Amino acid sequence: MASIADFAAAQKPIYHQERPSKTGLLDWLTTVDHKKIGILYGGAGLFWLLIGGLEALLFRIQLARPDQHIFVGDTFNGLVTMHATTMVFLAVMPMIAGFSNYFVPLMIGARDVAFPRMNAFSWWTFFAGSLTINASLLFCGAFPAAGWTGYAPLTTRDFSGMPIDFWWAGLTLLAVSSMVAGVNFVVTILNLRAPGMTLMRVPVLAWMMLVIQFLLAFSFPPVAVGLILLAFDRTFGTVFYATNMGGDPHLWQHLFWLFGHPEVYVLILPSMGIVSEILPVFTRRPLFGHHAVIFSGVFIGFVGFGVWGHHMFTAGMGPIADAAFASTTAIVAIPTGVKIFNWIGTMYNSKMTFPTAMLFAISFIPMFTLGGLSGMMHASPPLDLQQHDTYFVVAHFHYVLVGGALQGLFAGFYFYLPKITGKLMNETLGKIHFWVFLIGFNVTFFPMHMLGNHGMPRRIYTYPADAGWNTENLIATSGVFLMTFATLVFVYNLLTSLKKGKDAGSDPWDANTLEWMTTSPPPVHNFDFTPVVLSERPLWDHKYTPGFEIPVPEKAEEIHMPSPSWKPMWVSGSAGLIIVGLLTFNGVFGIPGWPLCIAGALGIIFSVYAWVTEPV
Amino acid sequence: MSNALRSLQKRLPSLALTTSLLLLAGLTAACEELHPRDAYQHPAADASEVSAWFYNLYLVLDSIIFFGVLAAFFIAIVKFRKKPGDNALPEQSFGDSRLEIAWTIVPTLVVLGITVPTLGGLFELAKRPDMNQKIIDIDVTGKQWWWELDYKKEGINTGNEMHVEVGTQVMLHLTSADVIHAWWVPRLSGKRDATPGRNYPLNFKPKEVGSFDGQCAELCGASHALMGIRIIVHPKDGPDSYENWVTRMKQAAAKPTTPQQEAGQKVFMNKGCVACHTINGLSELAPGARSRTSGPNLTHVGSRDYIAAHTLKNSPDSIATWVKNPQAVKPGALMSNLGLTDQEASDVAGFLTSLK
Repeated sequence: MASIADFAAAQKPIYHQERPSKTGLLDWLTTVDHKKIGILYGGAGLFWLLIGGLEALLFRIQLARPDQHIFVGDTFNGLVTMHATTMVFLAVMPMIAGFSNYFVPLMIGARDVAFPRMNAFSWWTFFAGSLTINASLLFCGAFPAAGWTGYAPLTTRDFSGMPIDFWWAGLTLLAVSSMVAGVNFVVTILNLRAPGMTLMRVPVLAWMMLVIQFLLAFSFPPVAVGLILLAFDRTFGTVFYATNMGGDPHLWQHLFWLFGHPEVYVLILPSMGIVSEILPVFTRRPLFGHHAVIFSGVFIGFVGFGVWGHHMFTAGMGPIADAAFASTTAIVAIPTGVKIFNWIGTMYNSKMTFPTAMLFAISFIPMFTLGGLSGMMHASPPLDLQQHDTYFVVAHFHYVLVGGALQGLFAGFYFYLPKITGKLMNETLGKIHFWVFLIGFNVTFFPMHMLGNHGMPRRIYTYPADAGWNTENLIATSGVFLMTFATLVFVYNLLTSLKKGKDAGSDPWDANTLEWMTTSPPPVHNFDFTPVVLSERPLWDHKYTPGFEIPVPEKAEEIHMPSPSWKPMWVSGSAGLIIVGLLTFNGVFGIPGWPLCIAGALGIIFSVYAWVTEPV
Repeated sequence: MSNALRSLQKRLPSLALTTSLLLLAGLTAACEELHPRDAYQHPAADASEVSAWFYNLYLVLDSIIFFGVLAAFFIAIVKFRKKPGDNALPEQSFGDSRLEIAWTIVPTLVVLGITVPTLGGLFELAKRPDMNQKIIDIDVTGKQWWWELDYKKEGINTGNEMHVEVGTQVMLHLTSADVIHAWWVPRLSGKRDATPGRNYPLNFKPKEVGSFDGQCAELCGASHALMGIRIIVHPKDGPDSYENWVTRMKQAAAKPTTPQQEAGQKVFMNKGCVACHTINGLSELAPGARSRTSGPNLTHVGSRDYIAAHTLKNSPDSIATWVKNPQAVKPGALMSNLGLTDQEASDVAGFLTSLK
């Protein structure tokens, strides 16, 4: 029988060009290697996950008992706002970007993404955005406090201060980063697939990444427009959202949720992809209904653009619009159900093993199902009028985003990290992480369903003792400590595995897809030779299906790998300069900031020129 | 270390079970607690009854689906584990088209089956009530962080505590003077945004006499948490009837009767309170002087259950605390700290409490 040892015999490829090499920090600053950028994204995501978790811990302490005065008013609102902003934009999205960067080219048998320098530009712009949002704590001593949804007119100059400027500025940079990344990865997945890899042979995770890149490319423009209008209102005194001058606060809500709902699917689809990759490996069966799983993901992506109004049932859009959005939202249940049934179908008649990656992947199924079912309730306007903006909704989206998205990403870490580091993570610590996290998560969020039913609105910093919310709040807060402990165990496990972990080898899980045929970690050029794909499970069939072996060419391939470049960072830096100029537009200490905008614009022109004329 | 960890790993599932049981016990304890704002168990108006009916419908449906999925899931986990030493590959099935079609069609039918009544409920709630019946019309304006209530027909202007009549249709007209707020008293109706520049109706017909609490449900700034609402549903007749309340409210403010109340009235008139507050018969804000930062009408403030929008129980002491330093009670409160002395604060509290 064939095995992956066959690939070791392949000739190393010959580089066309002399590749200028940099070492140490310079290497990381100028890298255009999708794997290094993936690590940067993933590391940043983990860092912000801890910060976002800390913010949650702080405001849950405030809510543990009624009438407490630890974090009050806008301090509390700032923690809530930054918890959500951080978790969505700075933790989960970069972790997804990390997986997408590192593994999509490997899964489709490519040597890099289609536009490696644009990829570096996305990363540096993300980096600038993440710092900008949080810089408000440094410069204003306060966090933006209008909620992550930033409903106008609370975000206009009449009702909020400077922190909101940092908020729109940072988010605008993140929007640019995501749009560029979206285009880059759509082109990569559609054009750089290995020979023989038809669209239906693209692994499910890469498919889900393709779907979300479309969502990113098309859903970020509306919110970017909304943020720029807000910037104009705040900086230049326009009145897009000022009602007393004929502006309309609903404009913001529509622009925001036209982005916001596809964004939810951006967060969940990659985890569905990860689960769809992990289940077949540890059940040792193909994914049941592989095509149905892919098509339902695509369908979710499409419908995702037509459901945003369900966030606005209480806003007064009128019964006709409400009815339309209620119906489209209900439709989402169908493809979601199909996915869940297919995952369970994969588990039947299988021979399952349960390493930590598998535990997280399967516990995704019931937790996400619960979140999906409470979501069906919100799709019903007569019911949503009660549940909107209550703790019931908080419970719902945490079941989807923590029980779903985050557990999927944890599964992904245990499963894929050995490919990145070459070392396995500790299974015992992994199982402690899993169980404590699963329990802590349910202890935290299940009682929130009840809080919502008992009439507790979200984003309130205190509550009276006689409202009947005391016990559940105390239970919920105690769960946060379990989740915190579990996450620290995970980080400890990850860090110690880098040095002490057992060697993973190329294919520790006996897996199905191309990324496992190369070494761990993969060489700069990913594969010594371009694999020819003959089936949905190329590596599995190579190992187990006679006649489907991946052929190893005798001649060395001649390849061209992109050179490191400073230019992406220059463009990001110039964009950042424009943002700083806008933040200080009307002057700080009497010095106007607008010259910075001009400098930034000139900087962009100059660095883009240098970029396009730079030899690669 | 690693042995201890390994034995812990073995005990993890049972620990998980114990914790779940403890959680369940905790939640049962929570059910013992009174839930005065539970819309589903105790709906008290037609609008909230519709929501409660849908909640129960979805709860049953969701439970059937969830426990069905959970059962299939656990059967798979228990039954299809790899046995030690069994290295043969399981059956390599790529799927089953008939099954795929079935589990696409069944959810489709469920979704259709539930969407049709949902839309019915939606249009039911949006229906304009019969205009030939007695209707209590109230203009509600959300302000940072309290509610201005204007009974135009009756000529009553008050704040935060809404009085209505059992069995009589109530129509609220919601708007806001600053940012977006949301009116929500769970047991009477679902919530509705109070949006600046817009005016949205919210209709309900109370079925129970009593006091119903709620609060703003849309993040509206620093003291969003302290923007409470109380709706008092009066009986149709008797001394506590709605009509009696209306008659009482239309009277001008009570005159001070004790020296302390007189001193308090002087504080009110001379220390700046009058710049923002109206007391009918004493000092009324000219329409031009009213702004989004004007405070509530205090003509009958002594008769309210709470002050500062359901933040403090109404008493001379809490009024004194509130007027001495509003920002200490409500972060960011727009009421100025007038630098009253303790004596002035307790005088004005005595005066305001007398305004029944």
